[in-house]
Amino acid sequence: MAAAFALAGCADETLPPGAVEIRYWTGWTGDELNAQKRLVDEFNRSHPRIRVRVLSVAGSYQKVRIGFAGGATPDVVSAVWADELAGYAARGVLRPLDPYLARSGRSIEEYVPGVSRMLQFKGRPYALAVTTNTNFILFNKKIFREVGLDPERPPRTLEELDAAAAACTQRNPDGSFVRYGYRPTGLMQWAYVFGGQWYDAASGEVTANHPANVQALDWMASYAAKYDVTRMQNFEATFGSNATPNGPFFVGKVAMWQTGEWARAHLTRHAPNLEYGWFPFPIPPGGRPSTSGAGGSVFVIPVASRHPDEAWEFLDWLTKPYAVAEFCESITNLPPLTELGKSRRFRDVPLMRFALDLAAGQNVFGPPGMPVWPRYVQEIRRVEDYAIFGRKPAQGLLDDMDFRVERDLVRTLREVE
Amino acid sequence: MKLSDTMRSKQGRRDLRNGLLFASPWLIHLAVLIAYPILSSFYYSLCNYDTLRPPRFIGLENYRILFTEDPLFYASLWNTFYMVVIGLPVGLFLSLGIALLMNQKLSGMAFYRTLYYLPSICPVVATSILWLWLLNPEMGLVNTMLGQIGVQGPGWLVAPEWAKPALILMGLWGAGGGMVIYLAALQDVPQQLYEAASLDGAGKIAQFRHVTLPMLSPVILFNLIMGLIGTFQYFTQAYVISRGSGGPQDSTLFYALHLFNVAFLDFRMGYACAMAWVLFLITLAASLAVFRSSARWVYYAGESR
Amino acid sequence: MKRRSIASQWIGHVTLLALGLFFVLPFYWLVTTSLKSDTEVFAVPPVWVPKDLLWGNFVKAVNYIPFFTFLKNTLIICGFSVLGAVTSSSLVAYSFSRIRWPGRDALFLVLLATMMLPGQVTLIPVFGIFRALGWIDTFLPLTAPHFLGSAFYIFMLRQFFMTIPMELSDAVRIDGGGEWDIFSRVILPLSRPALATVGLFTFIGSWNDFGGPLLYLNDERKATLSLGLQQFVSQHGAEWSLLMAASTLMTIPIIILFFFAQRTFIQGIAVSGIKG
Repeated sequence: MAAAFALAGCADETLPPGAVEIRYWTGWTGDELNAQKRLVDEFNRSHPRIRVRVLSVAGSYQKVRIGFAGGATPDVVSAVWADELAGYAARGVLRPLDPYLARSGRSIEEYVPGVSRMLQFKGRPYALAVTTNTNFILFNKKIFREVGLDPERPPRTLEELDAAAAACTQRNPDGSFVRYGYRPTGLMQWAYVFGGQWYDAASGEVTANHPANVQALDWMASYAAKYDVTRMQNFEATFGSNATPNGPFFVGKVAMWQTGEWARAHLTRHAPNLEYGWFPFPIPPGGRPSTSGAGGSVFVIPVASRHPDEAWEFLDWLTKPYAVAEFCESITNLPPLTELGKSRRFRDVPLMRFALDLAAGQNVFGPPGMPVWPRYVQEIRRVEDYAIFGRKPAQGLLDDMDFRVERDLVRTLREVE
Repeated sequence: MKLSDTMRSKQGRRDLRNGLLFASPWLIHLAVLIAYPILSSFYYSLCNYDTLRPPRFIGLENYRILFTEDPLFYASLWNTFYMVVIGLPVGLFLSLGIALLMNQKLSGMAFYRTLYYLPSICPVVATSILWLWLLNPEMGLVNTMLGQIGVQGPGWLVAPEWAKPALILMGLWGAGGGMVIYLAALQDVPQQLYEAASLDGAGKIAQFRHVTLPMLSPVILFNLIMGLIGTFQYFTQAYVISRGSGGPQDSTLFYALHLFNVAFLDFRMGYACAMAWVLFLITLAASLAVFRSSARWVYYAGESR
Repeated sequence: MKRRSIASQWIGHVTLLALGLFFVLPFYWLVTTSLKSDTEVFAVPPVWVPKDLLWGNFVKAVNYIPFFTFLKNTLIICGFSVLGAVTSSSLVAYSFSRIRWPGRDALFLVLLATMMLPGQVTLIPVFGIFRALGWIDTFLPLTAPHFLGSAFYIFMLRQFFMTIPMELSDAVRIDGGGEWDIFSRVILPLSRPALATVGLFTFIGSWNDFGGPLLYLNDERKATLSLGLQQFVSQHGAEWSLLMAASTLMTIPIIILFFFAQRTFIQGIAVSGIKG
């Protein structure tokens, strides 16, 4: 019986003599996975000495964590979230990539500043990326026109955003929504827009209750109070998927949509006739203009990789302009390499041009390089959830979180040292 | 006297040998695949262990943090108790009720049995996604039907105070799973017991109390214990529905979900193991309490001599 | 057996049907949603009968993965798991219920206790054992443990075996039979419904298992259906018709299996009839 399994297990595909097998785990599925596989095939054809085998681990934390822990470690992993990078790097299980980059005559500065910062921990690069994302707000020009707003001059200040949101909102006689103008989400991002921060890398302090963070949360809660968050939520339950023509922005249930460049693919496919524009997050006095986030999954080489040189050869090839451009183009993502951001190939569409410039800007905030960041992110979401339902005041929530995260961080840093 | 002693000890030796022989598959299981991982997890619970580097002994520190510094520990414990105290009994009663209804000699029984049973064997992930859709506050079938009889349905899974009742409702859909176990046992109740009881003048209710319930009691015990263990580890549904966050407002942050996040989101396997052992003790205490009481209400035909 | 009155027959049917609606409606909704267009999915009031049956949702789900390879892998894993669970668990349950031996009850408590620790915390040591055995990337971590009995089924069968009167065992002993004869000639035939239930549960458990295959299989050609469909699901966030199609697809083989198992259930009833 056991023999039968074993036989079923090791079928075909013999490795050419002298070739090295590289196990590559990715978190991508579907179209992204297929695009990766095409590139891997191309690499395998042009590099007879190396055979890369891809496995999609569908974004599972457990699989990757146990892959690192259990000694069945893959050679290249792109299923590590940028949020987790510091946690892995601080524990010494990732290979620092500066020697490899130097050997190939490359530098982490090839990336746009926001992404470059995100890939480093304590000043050393531990990861590479093949895509990046931005976020901003799309608006429906037709609705703007109908309610008397200038569709060619979208909101720039918070005050203008509030006014536009109110103007675009339409209700039934019973108070339920026909359409709402805008609902702010994502405290983490908005805190940066307000000029706040979550972690002061220089002093090593957690700054969850930074005054600007409190302001941002108060402002978000004000929407919840003004528009009745329960009604908003019930209305949102009627929203279709943005991957279909029933997406709320496409059918006019929402006038302003907080999203990113990935929305373009959906807009072209599902709402080809929609007249829309875009603007970066509007700012309060003293806020940071053109704020955007950075994140997503990143590529690493585990210390336990048995063939780090071949793993690097593959990773080097996959993160150079040719492969990055192929990948980003086939899945409509933004290339994180400065050089590609300037190339015509990605700049012919106005929305993508806007997104590329946003991503290349100075106010791009990725994970701040602290080992407890994933838990911190969860805490930030939790605090947002409590605040917008008016359960607790913003200041108290953030004070409390600041205390707890600081304590966790100190403890974790002590463990890691 | 002496002779019978020898015989008894001879029989005893044979019983021991046979007992161990028949139990040997699981004894191997225990020795090879269970004992070591469980003991490891206990050791980890006394360590700083991030899974990436070797564990480092820190004594009871994890337990101290758990009880004194983790508000989510208490929140998740409360949510879990809610499911044990309310969700579990409701499910047990429903599945027993259906099994009894099902056990009548009605035509078309196979059809009903299939009807009731099928939901319980749907993949849990699929079931959770389906109910996420059914319980959609605006578009969902449940609130639509409530609306037709003039009831404004609640927000279910997006409303903190309704999320757990929603999960219980969702769990009831799978009551057919417990039902088949009851049904299999009901079908094993010898018919002549009922005949004897009715000869003694026992009515339907008396027959249920004095024949059906005692005969079913081992299986009720089984469903209760398994229900306890399963409910204390309630995880998948909450994970799918809240995408791991335990929201809205921690209302679906169950113990096992919190444990999972701690272990795999936070690199705190040692702490997660401490959580697991606390849960283990709670489950054990609850199960022992049930077993203690079971001597009074469980009847085993096989032990009648 | 007394004949039931027409009225009580009717009451029985009406109750069962009414309660049945709760069980069947979500199911109906699952299948019909999987055949709807996205516009129909979001229609108010809801569409009860889809206008056109869009089988394309199923085609999409099937084509997303090498469906038949994954089906074959899944069936192999399920088949061996069922075989293993039914044989080993019934043996062990026999020991825990019909033979009196010192230490039995204490060990039985240990058996129950092993179920009370959440599996997530033993993942890493268990993984280490299978790696040491060289079983990573084979079906063995998913099937072999079933041959060593699993606590849940042992407990379940023990409860069943204990309801079988001891006199039946004694009859065999008087004829000079040993434990094996009692087990194979008395207990097993009388427990067919329970064994069928164990088999069915094991099959369903293996069929739905997502974590196990994810953890232990590193080669896409060995992947299972639940893995493939999980990927499909994660790819199609709120596209309800596609999600429902994938879910339906996962469920149909189980329904087919259930119809087969039902035969055994009914056989089981016949056996208990003779007994009574």
